Amino acid sequence: MHELTIVENIINMVEAEIGKRQLDQKISKIVFLAGKMNAIIPESLTFGFDTIKKEHPVLADAELVIRILPITVRCRSCGAESTIDEPEFICQHCSGTEIEMLTGSEMFIESIEMDEE
Amino acid sequence: MELFIVRKVLEANTKTADEIRRKMICSDTLLVNIMSSPGSGKTALLETLIPRLQKRGVRVGVIEGDITTTRDAMRLQPLNIPISQINTEPFGGDCHLGAEVILPALEPFDLEKTDIIFIENVGNLVCPAEFDTGAALNVVLISVTEGEDKPLKYPLMFRVCQHALISKIDLLPFLDFDMEFLKTNILKINPKITILRISSKTGDGIDEFADQLIRFCGKDDIAKSKC
Repeated sequence: MHELTIVENIINMVEAEIGKRQLDQKISKIVFLAGKMNAIIPESLTFGFDTIKKEHPVLADAELVIRILPITVRCRSCGAESTIDEPEFICQHCSGTEIEMLTGSEMFIESIEMDEE
Repeated sequence: MELFIVRKVLEANTKTADEIRRKMICSDTLLVNIMSSPGSGKTALLETLIPRLQKRGVRVGVIEGDITTTRDAMRLQPLNIPISQINTEPFGGDCHLGAEVILPALEPFDLEKTDIIFIENVGNLVCPAEFDTGAALNVVLISVTEGEDKPLKYPLMFRVCQHALISKIDLLPFLDFDMEFLKTNILKINPKITILRISSKTGDGIDEFADQLIRFCGKDDIAKSKC
């Protein structure tokens, strides 16, 4: 259940961002992106978010939008880039094993939306 | 109004992990994060491995991440080494050890006089993989009773580790276990991982792992080169 820790991090970060900008509108939407490798269960993340947000007035009505990014890789031997559905880190073009992950293992907040004044 | 912020969600954890890495580099201490499912033999590995390291002059410490009890720490007590117990909830604590709990857990150690510190992470193949502890080496244990397809089900774990130890190989005569299939699956996820077969019961592979750790420290006789 790493989702709960992730939710806490999301909430802390959003509060820090709006605090920094001295905004006082309520947040309506948070767009969160996670890679397929992060093994996030959206239902658990949403459940955790909806539970914790009640303790934070500025976020109480916010919706958490979760987007899962595919795993994209680049082969360091032949340079081929591809999207993989199965966790196999071997180049499909040249069988190279020096595979660099371009996307698919990072979690970040992309944007937050606030109610208009 | 929409604000684009694009911030990594675990950046606070990474920052603390960086602080731990700096600390370890300054004191020339190797931090090793040991992860596995519950019951794969993390404590048993430490019980067998640590005396062999001690015999070779390596000074060891352990951070115990047992979430509800101090049982694992008690098992390691006869080794007479400094043990830092991470205390979490008495009934079901967290599912992983984040850098923010590792940093204070390093306090009790005299780092200048410690060569290797093992983190015995919480038994779990999902969450610990996600949280950088600041360890220079990540090690995953997978026992031969767990099934050959586990790496494919928990790819991130096998991706973040530099060593995979296949444990409990003394049980192989009693199982229909396809060792080559497990190895193939591990290498699909991480072609660069070092795989070692071990048994903490018979001692198979343990000296070899001790050698790999000592070599990673970059010194044949770690203890002599310090202080």
